[in-house]
Amino acid sequence: MRTITLAALAAVVFTAAAQAAPSKPERVRVTGEIIDSWCYLTEIMYPEGSAHHLCAIWCAAGGIPVGIKGDDGKVYTVLKLGADSSSVANPGVMEIQSHKVEVDAELYVRDGINYLTIGQVVSDEGIVNLTHDEYGIQPFGE
Amino acid sequence: MRHLIGVTAMALAVLSPAAQAAEKWGLPGEEAVRFEAKVVDILCELSGDCPANCGGGTRQLGLLNDEGRLILPMKNQVFFAGAVDELIGFCAKRVVADGLMVTNRGYTFMALQFVREAPDGAWKRANRFTNKWAERNNVAADSAAAKRWFENDPRVKDLISRHGKLGLGLDADKEFLGD
Repeated sequence: MRTITLAALAAVVFTAAAQAAPSKPERVRVTGEIIDSWCYLTEIMYPEGSAHHLCAIWCAAGGIPVGIKGDDGKVYTVLKLGADSSSVANPGVMEIQSHKVEVDAELYVRDGINYLTIGQVVSDEGIVNLTHDEYGIQPFGE
Repeated sequence: MRHLIGVTAMALAVLSPAAQAAEKWGLPGEEAVRFEAKVVDILCELSGDCPANCGGGTRQLGLLNDEGRLILPMKNQVFFAGAVDELIGFCAKRVVADGLMVTNRGYTFMALQFVREAPDGAWKRANRFTNKWAERNNVAADSAAAKRWFENDPRVKDLISRHGKLGLGLDADKEFLGD
């Protein structure tokens, strides 16, 4: 009986250790637009480019995860920029909100979500997705 | 029209005084959920970079459920605000999370509406962001400034003052919006 108890305890310990172990990331280059993940993924309003820039800043300041809409069609969630590991209203990320960028990053894929830790912004074209003429300023029009 | 319905439904939910769990917001692919999970620092969980207290509110927090699935709560019940201020007080603790699981555009994530410490703590509406923002900005939580925090946030105002609402510079704003 004691053997069974020890075996059960060991199984719990090793299972917990396995769950806590960090996963191995993949080094990637991602090109795309910095977006507000919530508005883009829920489609509650037009979510891209200059039309959505103001809302995207609001959402970033409010701590909603900032993402990159990749040219590869994937959405990435940004967890870190350079040495700054903050991902709630990260000032460096807010500064490049809605910009078209290329980043050098590490990618962690977990339960269907693509998480990025960005080592470096390789290129920054600024806001090139000029959508305000068609969609106005989201969401309130001014 | 779909956008309008979604925004309207969410606005009604945000403004509603009732504490009814799992309110539908009319989002695409939404499902009311309630589950127990541990609050974790997502970057810590993924990379092993683990500061004290889950980063103290500076990092995105996840909900690690009993099947080992890491759920990303993106939203709370306050306009334009995320879930970190709602969860940071539960860092490394088990909670009961209540809200909407949303699956759209190939991704699944959560809108957190209510949370309590597991198994039977008092339910808290996921709207503490407003109080915390007011505290950080030295205004009353029931002030007009706090209610429309997004227009009064100093970080937002600084960015707009330099890059404009369109992000294209002040001249572009002037041309588009007029004086």
